Amino acid sequence: MIIIFIILSVILIFGVSIYNSLIGKKNQVTNAFSAIDVMLKKRFDLLPNLIETVKQYMQYEGDLLTKVVELRAKAGSPNLSNEERLDLDKQLSSSVKGLMVNVENYPDLKANQNFLNLQSTWTESEEQIAAARRTYNASVTDYNNAIMMFPGNIFAGMMNYQPIAVLANTEEERKNISAKDLFNN
Amino acid sequence: MAEETAALPSLQTVLNELEVQRKELSNLKIKAYLFLASGITLIAIGAMLGSLVIAGAICGGILIIFSIVFFSKAGQKFSDYRDQFKQRVVSSALKSIDQSLKIEYKYGLPENDFINSQLFTQRPDRYTSEDQIYGNAGKTQFAFSEVHAEYKTETQTKNGRQEHWHTILKGIVFWADFNKNFNGLTVVKPKDMGNALGAWISDKMPIFSSSSKQLVKLESPEFNKAFVTYSTDQVEARYILTPAMMERLCELNDKSGATISVSFIGSYVYIAFPLEKDYFEPPVFKSLLTTKSLDEDLSIIRFMYSIIAELDLNTRIWGKE
Repeated sequence: MIIIFIILSVILIFGVSIYNSLIGKKNQVTNAFSAIDVMLKKRFDLLPNLIETVKQYMQYEGDLLTKVVELRAKAGSPNLSNEERLDLDKQLSSSVKGLMVNVENYPDLKANQNFLNLQSTWTESEEQIAAARRTYNASVTDYNNAIMMFPGNIFAGMMNYQPIAVLANTEEERKNISAKDLFNN
Repeated sequence: MAEETAALPSLQTVLNELEVQRKELSNLKIKAYLFLASGITLIAIGAMLGSLVIAGAICGGILIIFSIVFFSKAGQKFSDYRDQFKQRVVSSALKSIDQSLKIEYKYGLPENDFINSQLFTQRPDRYTSEDQIYGNAGKTQFAFSEVHAEYKTETQTKNGRQEHWHTILKGIVFWADFNKNFNGLTVVKPKDMGNALGAWISDKMPIFSSSSKQLVKLESPEFNKAFVTYSTDQVEARYILTPAMMERLCELNDKSGATISVSFIGSYVYIAFPLEKDYFEPPVFKSLLTTKSLDEDLSIIRFMYSIIAELDLNTRIWGKE
């Protein structure tokens, strides 16, 4: 009788701990994703300041500036699908890139302390986004392993947990919006 | 190159001067050893012959007293010679590498800083540190010191308590101003048995790991083979340990004999290199003029100096000057 009781309680504890760890891992993924969001927003918030500073010096790049401002306004609207956002992000970064190539022609801007600060903050946030993405991928891998391996897979089936895709295009995207390329001088 | 050739003649004169001191010192030491040996031999002979015990003991004793006098003289001379060597020889050797480099041979990494660096979880019970070398390599400030840290365990035996001393680190601790801002703590430890087990426990059974630091699972298989990483912040750990930084740390690790430990705390990076040799000590029985000892000292200084370039710490584009 006692033995059965002990076996049952061991199974129960075991089950609860697996169940809890799966939930913990799923929450970890959500948490890691919100970290990316925070970092993206941080980079995004740099744009108005960047535009303001650049505008004072680059009088002859009006078209490019307007385009960046427009894209920024579009990307800021809340009801965008992930794909749309990604696309806007791409356009935005290529415009900023175009703008930054021309920084070469404005020595005053290149010597501007405010601009230099923005430049390094931009690079910093780029690296932070990359780090947040890697953290997200690590959490996703951890979660996927947990729900695909025995005995987690039994619980995952009952809880209807599905594998999540990792952000595979990190490298490519990083290249597109890398501030190193943007500001290379 | 111009700096090096300019520094060399003065180094040569210093070495010539010190060589005279070294010869005197080595003569004194040889004399002291000779007196000691002959004193002991006399006493032994006296004891063997039986009848001459007292005479042997008196003569031998006198010789031993002489040797003690010589030893103490040699001791004073040695500390003077050692100071001169560090002040003049090591200093000008440092200048030949970079004008900003200086040595404070009496100072080292303070024990508190060693503990706060969190390179090692074990707190030292006995701690010595000396030969602090500091300066700049480009924009980056750095320093390194020889450190010997040990902890004590006691066992109860039949003959009472017995102390055992275990080395936490004997070698060099290097620290430099890191080129990125961060708030938390990230520690990279060698993947030995204990650390690997600890990592497994904190991964599989997080309930049992009491530490505020979490295990960080990084992507580089090469890096994970050599190290275990903990951090207070998962994102920040990856912000510091970028794929490029992981690669550089692996390269640095390959160049040093034993596996290094690295910690990132309070805007500094600390690296511990376990080393057998005691560096920056002058030779006594080998000539200073042909000595290879200085070569070894120089190569370790160059190695430490090159870390800044190796870890790319002079790239200051992440909002920290």
